[in-house]
Amino acid sequence: MSDRNITWSHLLGGLLLAILLVVPSNALAQRGRGPQGPAQEIAPIDPTGYWVSVVTEGWRHRMVVASKGDYESTAMTPAAEEIADAWDPDADAAAGEECRYYGAGGVMRIPGRLHITWEDENTLRIDTDAGTQTRMLHFDPSVEAPDENAWQGFSRAEWTRAGGGREPGSEPAGRLKVVTDHMNMGYLRRNGVPYSNQTVMTEYLFSFDEPSVAGFPADSWLVLTAFYEDPLYLTRRYMQSTHYKKEPNGAKWNPTPCSAYE
Amino acid sequence: MNRVISFPGLVMVLAIGMFLSDPAFAQMDISGQWGPVFDEDRDERAGGPELGEYMGMPINDASRARAELWDSSIQSLPEWQCRPHGVDYITRGPSDPFITAEIDPVTRNIVAYHMEWLRSVDRPVYMDGRPHPGPNEPHTWSGFSTGEWVGDVLRIHTTHIKEDYIRRNGLPRSDRAEVVEYLIRNDDVITWTTITYDPIYLEEPLIRTGEFLWERNQQVPPYPCTVVTEVDRPVGFVPHYFPGENPYALEAAGVYSLPLEATQGGPETMYPEFKQRIRELMPER
Repeated sequence: MSDRNITWSHLLGGLLLAILLVVPSNALAQRGRGPQGPAQEIAPIDPTGYWVSVVTEGWRHRMVVASKGDYESTAMTPAAEEIADAWDPDADAAAGEECRYYGAGGVMRIPGRLHITWEDENTLRIDTDAGTQTRMLHFDPSVEAPDENAWQGFSRAEWTRAGGGREPGSEPAGRLKVVTDHMNMGYLRRNGVPYSNQTVMTEYLFSFDEPSVAGFPADSWLVLTAFYEDPLYLTRRYMQSTHYKKEPNGAKWNPTPCSAYE
Repeated sequence: MNRVISFPGLVMVLAIGMFLSDPAFAQMDISGQWGPVFDEDRDERAGGPELGEYMGMPINDASRARAELWDSSIQSLPEWQCRPHGVDYITRGPSDPFITAEIDPVTRNIVAYHMEWLRSVDRPVYMDGRPHPGPNEPHTWSGFSTGEWVGDVLRIHTTHIKEDYIRRNGLPRSDRAEVVEYLIRNDDVITWTTITYDPIYLEEPLIRTGEFLWERNQQVPPYPCTVVTEVDRPVGFVPHYFPGENPYALEAAGVYSLPLEATQGGPETMYPEFKQRIRELMPER
């Protein structure tokens, strides 16, 4: 009778075997128990460098100022439409509000260049030449949000890690997740489509190197997906993705001030 | 001497085992029903672009010349009615995809994904490492696709595609093109990144990204397409314009109050420097 019962030694032996056979280290990483240490040291992707906007989408809302009242592809509440209908760039300039389109909610869509660097080992820095803005992405959870709102708000960052997939030996990869709040009210679009100071923006950044394909040279790309949740000016979660191509250096870096007009 | 395990002990050991062993492989589940999100370019993607609207497209002169001949009524020809969008346009168009995983019953490995789009056909994406066919093998609307995981992002490489269009206003894409896609899933949304490499009609790769939302109540229906006579035409007639005779080819500039040079596209129109060019062309804008 006792031969047919499960015993501690049988069970523990089987468990150990199962762990050795099927649990790769990156499965642990995906559960949030991945590499520990400074964010720069454990980064699964390298988003640093100079990146240029490649404007193949949203062109007539990004490369030029769309007409007043052109709200195509938005999800505006009536309150938002009221603000956008009253959009007056002269009034913004007179009020010192030229940077409304250059806040964190809008600046990543403006055609321009990003310069991404490590400010310190737990803070990733994004500079934009459009509007000469700086975003700080804080990986250190002990950094507290400021009392005051700002154009770029306050951003918490984390790596979202993944396992290596089915291919044995494939490299672990991951993405950068950024949650931003404490933003000033700003514009999603140059023509006054607003987001409020209660907006929470969640971004995911993924970069990848693509080899030469069909005779075209190899490139590196950065894809940014942004989700906006705004209880005042959006009727639902709003989402957009923006892509950038890596440049070899900062030769084309062209800082310009905020403008209420372009 | 072995001791018989108690019930609480069994529960504890099983719990530890489940915690440690799942998931052993961290690929992302992309299967299910998905709907396109039109939070950018809704007019172009759903309604359709204006004729001659090429802003931001890295096209060459040959592409412009072909597109000028486009007459959209060609889509009413019997030969065109059941033709699905090509692999690199369908992710941009207004169709909903339905993705299923084909699983080996023994190994439980995913050997292929099947992507069926509304009013389209099955598109297999092979995950079993098989090579792409030789150069003389047939080309199809969805081409021959192989997938691999980059972490939990699915990279797809497609070859052997038929000539098609990259925008629904006749911008052509050749059968020499190859397409690379990255499916990046964040919670209930896939960011579908599509890069078209066409050595015939593009001067640079065309990259586009769009979102697809997981739809729990959607069911993409089958599409047994039937050809009908939509327009009475002489036998053999193909709607077209001859070079220089398309009265609508340049109308996008007027519709959007843009300089003609901008609407004609080209790689320079993709980059920030083109904003300065627009100022030079239309200082009053």
